[in-house]
Amino acid sequence: MKKIIEVKNLTKQYKNLKAVNNLTFEVEKGEILGLLGPNGSGKSTTINCILSLLNYQEGTITIFNEKMTPGAYEIKRKIGVVFQDVAVFEELTVYDNIDYFCGLYITDKNTRKAYVQEAIELVGLEEFKKFLPKQLSGGLLRRLNIACGIAHKPELIILDEPTVAVDPQSRNNILNGIKKLRDLGATIIYTTHYMEEVEILCDRVIIIDKGKVIASGTIDELKELAKIEEKVTVEVTNLEEKIVKEILDFKNVENVTYTESALIVIYRKGKNNLQELIDYLKKEGIKYNKIFSERPTLNDVFLELTGKELRD
Amino acid sequence: MTVFKTYIKVLLSSKFTVILYTVMLIIFGILNMETKEVGTDFTSTKPDILIINNDENEGITKSLIEYISNNSNIKEIENEEDKIADALLYRDVNYIIYIPKNFRKDFLKGTNPNIEIKTTEDYPSQVANNLLSKYIEVAKTYRSHINNEEEYIEKIEETLKTNTEVEIASSLDNNSLTKAKTFFNFSNYTMLAGSIFIICLIMTVFNNETIRKRTIISSTNYKKLNRKLILSNSIFAFTLCIIYIIISFILVGDTMISSHGLLYIINLFVFTITVITISFLIGKLTNNKEAISGIVNVIALGSSFLCGSFVPIEYLPNFVTKIAHILPSYWYIKTNEEISILENITIETIKPIITNMIILFIFTIIFIIITNIITKRQRTIA
Repeated sequence: MKKIIEVKNLTKQYKNLKAVNNLTFEVEKGEILGLLGPNGSGKSTTINCILSLLNYQEGTITIFNEKMTPGAYEIKRKIGVVFQDVAVFEELTVYDNIDYFCGLYITDKNTRKAYVQEAIELVGLEEFKKFLPKQLSGGLLRRLNIACGIAHKPELIILDEPTVAVDPQSRNNILNGIKKLRDLGATIIYTTHYMEEVEILCDRVIIIDKGKVIASGTIDELKELAKIEEKVTVEVTNLEEKIVKEILDFKNVENVTYTESALIVIYRKGKNNLQELIDYLKKEGIKYNKIFSERPTLNDVFLELTGKELRD
Repeated sequence: MTVFKTYIKVLLSSKFTVILYTVMLIIFGILNMETKEVGTDFTSTKPDILIINNDENEGITKSLIEYISNNSNIKEIENEEDKIADALLYRDVNYIIYIPKNFRKDFLKGTNPNIEIKTTEDYPSQVANNLLSKYIEVAKTYRSHINNEEEYIEKIEETLKTNTEVEIASSLDNNSLTKAKTFFNFSNYTMLAGSIFIICLIMTVFNNETIRKRTIISSTNYKKLNRKLILSNSIFAFTLCIIYIIISFILVGDTMISSHGLLYIINLFVFTITVITISFLIGKLTNNKEAISGIVNVIALGSSFLCGSFVPIEYLPNFVTKIAHILPSYWYIKTNEEISILENITIETIKPIITNMIILFIFTIIFIIITNIITKRQRTIA
């Protein structure tokens, strides 16, 4: 696979704080790479270093096989960025905003006109072309923000939490748009707080914490990395504490929690875990409403690896 | 073109503010010119004098009082220290003369009795001082030659009656030139306030943190983009400048179609270039729309007061004019003043004007260098 970005031994230090610590990773052509990490983990700093918005102390950043610098305009021409904060002119209409930002890359008037129109269609803003940003809802504003970042048809797109505070309809629209961009051949780096979006979109995920890569791979590979294999939930009332303690001693059991009506048993890797639990409950004469088994989610993996919820 | 188009759209989005501000400044400029008294003739000044006579009102004492009275406005104020001090403080009198007891006797004897004075130390008080000194000096000149007091006083009065005819020999149309000078001096404020306000207003939009970030990461060279913004700002500022020049043609057309008028226009153009760079620099440093009015007041009003845009520079204290040297407005206004008194326009006579314009260009270059340094630093966010 052709490498689009190569980050090697990147270190960015603010006085005594290492925001990025010897970070190394690659992004391959055509993939959607999820960049995950709790707040303050170094995600945004890494992106700002990649874009040459920040100076860094050590390491190299190569994009499209060339060293990325503030003056690397040929590389910048192929990159589109959608920041978390909406970056549009309040004084310009939807169309004029997209036209201006597209104009920073595309000088030919006719090409730009066609590109702006395509971007508007991609994010579904056809009806709002003449609206001012203040007349748009939060979701529509986010779509405009995306259109401004991708109208020039970049080969590499960096999306920094583009769906924050967006209604479900707009979110679906945005996610479909991102998939379309990938299908059109773009390589995408995607940071988000929403695990379900990562599971839907990303081909590969890199988890960063304290400025370091702590895990990377496909979603399945990451789930394999986790010690936990299975989560069994039993809807049951009035369970004695003795029963909980006995279950904790079962083979492969990692943890047991019991709240008023739900017993949750977390298993390490092993076979017939669910069957053994059902047999035990039957033997003890415990009646339950439902029992079901789940594979760990990416959030469970993230929690296990970082010790933090993604939204911490 | 995209940048220019966007600049115009942003400008038009604030069109009411822009029009209101520009019209207001131009009206102030016209009113300022119309209300200024333009003096072209010589007229003698009569100071307000209080005479406290402790001698008898006879002989040379009487003559001195009459001479002073005939050439000034004599004020009647009670001889109480507080009231006299108040009269000086509030400029009810410019000069107080205390004639001592036995002045007549002592003066005729040949001693020079001490005449105590109090003064407001302004221009009219200097005129009063001249009157007193003139009388005493003439009186001293004849004192040893004429023994009869009546003859002596007659001789003094005859000498002092001699008048000097003053005629202004200049061929310049002073009235029109001074009007033009007042108009162009005020344009220091108009150009600074108008340009800083509008350019900063637009620059805060382009310098918005998120928009700036998006611009830096684009394939447009940030320096080139800045140049396009400077060009757009220049078009705006020169439009303002041209409007101002058109109005000057309407108001003082006679002067404007002369070589003096051409010099005023060139000076305004040179100053406009400096103003553009000042405004762009401030625009680079400001991200807060609310702060713009304050900045305009500090810079435009401040430099206008310090450099003689509102009050003629000769009325300003020395230390103020010394400080004013470090401001571009000083050199612009100084040039206007020099144009207004320029009798013949030759390469030799306009040399000081050219020097002032070169100084303005140096200011422009300094502002461009500072702006470039800031722009370079803004290409990264840390």
